Amino acid sequence: MIFEVGRVCVKLAGRDAGQRCVVVDLLEDNYVLIDGLTRRRKCNVHHLEPLGEVIKLKKGASHSDVSKEFKKLGIDIPKKVKAKKAGERPKKVRKVKVKPAKEEVKKKKPKKESIIATAKKELEKKVASVTAPKEEVKKKVSPKKKTSKK
Amino acid sequence: MVRGMFKSRTLRRVFRKTPGGRNTLTYRKRKPKNHVCSECKKVLPGVPRERPYKMMTLAKTHKRPERPYGGVLCSSCSREKIRKQVRT
Repeated sequence: MIFEVGRVCVKLAGRDAGQRCVVVDLLEDNYVLIDGLTRRRKCNVHHLEPLGEVIKLKKGASHSDVSKEFKKLGIDIPKKVKAKKAGERPKKVRKVKVKPAKEEVKKKKPKKESIIATAKKELEKKVASVTAPKEEVKKKVSPKKKTSKK
Repeated sequence: MVRGMFKSRTLRRVFRKTPGGRNTLTYRKRKPKNHVCSECKKVLPGVPRERPYKMMTLAKTHKRPERPYGGVLCSSCSREKIRKQVRT
């Protein structure tokens, strides 16, 4: 059989066309598992052109085994570079004006005191006004009671 | 009467519906010919037939198959070509 395990081939079809590969496993009739410069994948025999070389490989050999054997032939298989994970996007932080805010706070404090002072004054006025009219009310009420008694 | 330049058939004719609901004749430039295999002259599938301004907007992978000789040779001719290169 031409397509035995370890047979070096060239892929003819698809995006890996023209790349060298090795038969790693025999699948259904006309289909083999290939690996090497191509992707490790199932392949139709009609899409392969066998070469003269045969590598000693176990059936179902791993990708690292294949790359070691390919180095002996003088073919370097480039390692797959994992795609870098995208870092976090820089978030826009709103500028907060600190100094004017502090000044406002300082200004507010004396305002509160002044408000309290004014409120106290008003309270005192009210108290004074309330105590005074109470006497008047009593005076007003007392005559009414008298009328009811009558 | 139409302008003289529109009487010739260098431009293709397209009926367009106006916003007012009328059907009017407009003139467009013709599309280029189909892309063809340089060896067997078959029409190449997977290569769009568009004017250059539209081809500019397409992605590279939309314009030709992603294999060696993609967009130049058909699949069977490219296989034969690779085979010949390998055997010699």
